[in-house]
Amino acid sequence: MFDLPTANIGGPDLFVLEFGDIVAYFSPYTAALFVFALIFTVLVIVSRPERQVDIAFGGDAYYTKVVDPDLLRFQRFMAIACGLATLGAVVTGDVFNFTLFASMVGITNIGIVAAYRNRHVLNAAFQYGIVAMLATVPLFGGAAIVLAGTGTLSMWELFGGAMAVPLIAKAFLVLGVMGEGMAPFYIAKAEITRAQGAPFILMVHVSSLLLFLRVTEIVISM
Amino acid sequence: MIEYLLFATFIGLLFHGIHRKVIARVQGRPGPPIWQEILHTLKFSFKETWIPKTASQTLFVGIVFVAIAIWSGALFILLSGGSILLLFAVYLLHKIVEHGMGLSTGSPYTKFGAIRSVISAASELPLLVTVVAIYFFTRSLSIADIAAYQEVHGPLLILAFPAAVAMYLVILSKMHYGPFSIIEAKEIVSGNMTEHFGVWRAALEVAYALKTYVLLYAFVLIFIGSLPLALTLLVMLLVLVSLSFVCAVTPMLSPYDTVTIQTLVTGALVIYILILGVVMG
Repeated sequence: MFDLPTANIGGPDLFVLEFGDIVAYFSPYTAALFVFALIFTVLVIVSRPERQVDIAFGGDAYYTKVVDPDLLRFQRFMAIACGLATLGAVVTGDVFNFTLFASMVGITNIGIVAAYRNRHVLNAAFQYGIVAMLATVPLFGGAAIVLAGTGTLSMWELFGGAMAVPLIAKAFLVLGVMGEGMAPFYIAKAEITRAQGAPFILMVHVSSLLLFLRVTEIVISM
Repeated sequence: MIEYLLFATFIGLLFHGIHRKVIARVQGRPGPPIWQEILHTLKFSFKETWIPKTASQTLFVGIVFVAIAIWSGALFILLSGGSILLLFAVYLLHKIVEHGMGLSTGSPYTKFGAIRSVISAASELPLLVTVVAIYFFTRSLSIADIAAYQEVHGPLLILAFPAAVAMYLVILSKMHYGPFSIIEAKEIVSGNMTEHFGVWRAALEVAYALKTYVLLYAFVLIFIGSLPLALTLLVMLLVLVSLSFVCAVTPMLSPYDTVTIQTLVTGALVIYILILGVVMG
């Protein structure tokens, strides 16, 4: 029932995991992305943040910033949630579920960054939040057009080549994922890296890169 | 596989040495011996090693293993004739390694390297366009299928020349001392690698040697085809020397110029893809 077409660019499916009507699958490609997301989620769970060193202008002095334990807990929670959403997005076999996980990644990314109380970082989080929220329109719009055009959201059906997915749906999906964090909408990220908590901030990048890799596979396969 | 990993590491380090030597000779300097990078790696392996007090210790160490793991995986993908989409994934994931290395230490220099790595994310886009262009011709992303296609139709270097240029640019953007090497520029000490020393630096040198080997090997496999090992190494060396020439005569660009050039190249390639789409259906 869940056999991917042999010409599938992510490789043949190795294992299918069913949760009722929600089905995740592992091909060599999605399994590789899953393992990578898992490694960084584990790193988020076990790592403590770095202590940032700042150099004082006009002298040789430097100082290390203090790590706030409350902030640490919240950032870690959001980063783990982001990791779980990413794990879901890279293995799901349903376009709508993919868009759901992608938007959850966008929300948790805002949470990771907005936890840090610094004017520049909060400004960046605000801008990032606006772009991420706007991007949900083409993201879900893309999934809606796929459903309207083909009558299904199942990747097994869509990857078979028997159904013509409208080009606009593919473009919307890519645009939506790009808005959740990829170039050229990542302008705010350079400011985001001012925030403390390297393992958690890194999850922002990990999730958006993995989402982009997954949407590339989906769009080429459909 | 282990012996091939060791072989690829050795050749990659030797290539790094040749790269430095060619740059030096073009610039009229004697340069280091070509085995200098191998000696560096051995030297770092036996130096005293510790983790900076301000670092996120788990991430600081973990990221080094991730770097070795992803490029070892990439080598396996190439040898097994796997998907270039996976290779593209590895290349993107290397960006995470660059971020992680820079962010994990707490040092302002490494952090600058990490931030430059973020803003130079445009360097990945030409590779994506390359992947799509190749798919237009071969209708497959499997390296084995691409090699088989080239045996029948001739090298993609000629058929899809703009895509080859894009991949060449991708490799150039990852070369040491190149015009796009802003993340390890000397004005920020060694950029994101500043705080990784001792065994950690040796391990990173190994990962980077594997990266250079994999990228050059992928270029030969994807755009010229499957050749005997000796000939493959020779072609890889020729590509490397041409890259070294570019690095020797081109000053390092500013971060924003780097992004601009890479984005312009991507834009030109997108137009090429659109034309391909119209012509080839």
